[in-house]
Amino acid sequence: MERHTPLTEALFYILLSVHRPSHGYGIIQKVEELTEGRVVLGPGTLYGAIQTMSAKGWIRIYSEETDSRKKKEYIITEAGRHVFKEEKKRLMELLRNAEEMEEGTW
Amino acid sequence: MVRFRLYFNKDKETAYLNEMVGKGYAMKNFFAGFYLFERCRPGEYIYQVDIGEAMFQVSGDYREFMQDMGVEIVCTWGLWVLLRKKAAEGPFVLYTDVESNIRHYERIRRMFKTAAILEIIFAAVNLFGVIAGGSTTTAALPAFFCFLLTALAVCFVREIARVDGILEELRGRIGKEQPKECWRGGRRPSLFLAVGLLVNGITYLMPAVEESSRMEFPYGFVKGCLQGVALVFFVIGIVNTMRSGR
Repeated sequence: MERHTPLTEALFYILLSVHRPSHGYGIIQKVEELTEGRVVLGPGTLYGAIQTMSAKGWIRIYSEETDSRKKKEYIITEAGRHVFKEEKKRLMELLRNAEEMEEGTW
Repeated sequence: MVRFRLYFNKDKETAYLNEMVGKGYAMKNFFAGFYLFERCRPGEYIYQVDIGEAMFQVSGDYREFMQDMGVEIVCTWGLWVLLRKKAAEGPFVLYTDVESNIRHYERIRRMFKTAAILEIIFAAVNLFGVIAGGSTTTAALPAFFCFLLTALAVCFVREIARVDGILEELRGRIGKEQPKECWRGGRRPSLFLAVGLLVNGITYLMPAVEESSRMEFPYGFVKGCLQGVALVFFVIGIVNTMRSGR
């Protein structure tokens, strides 16, 4: 199987955002808010990430039509959740080891 | 207002379009190097240039996505997609991380590579025409095109080398190796090579000296000089190419 992790920061935060149904602009806002403005996704970056992750089956379209204004919403899939969990595990390992080193129990 | 510009470098093109917005001109359409501008409030828009997936069109997905982002697709040309957003709605940068920038420039590289290969194929076809042509008069035109297309191919390879320089820097930032087939260390073919090829090509369009013996001088002299100049340019080009880079 292809190795998926480590994820890029953009992919990680997009996957995190689409745990709830979100449209493109919502994802950008959510990521900006979560990182206090540190990570601002450009439309090209987000579009490419959505295309890639849709092709890999990590996310899917949640709703095509809401009201008259057609705005696509995206939601994470089971496969996406799995990748996200694996990445979270990896990141926690990094953090745990860093903390243990600082506490001197290492 | 119409302006003529030829850009291979999409970053320079973006800078030009945004400079024009600063002067109160918004690009509205593009055709083969001709930019059509309309009046706008100075600084009203921010332009960006993207490279699409298909020639002269964007997918419905892309169009819809950009619309949702408040981004207007002004026009497409070849693989080029010219976009703009109202400056009042905040900053507008298409690619905001190293990874997506690498993918973007890899797509640009692929585009120039395809273009270079096509030029070389067409040049080879013309070279065949030169060989098949036999006499100098019938072979003149294919010979000219052969040199012209080779000169264009050199220009595209130059662009590949320039993009490789950008890619090398981006890859370096995330600790990725530059692939073997890429240009490294900022080396790139010199423009003199292309100019030399072009000038030499032009001399083929001039009738052969024997046939126009009545204007032996200064005509033959001029043609000889041009061929000499072409050779000098070509040699300078080779030297500059070898010496380019860090």
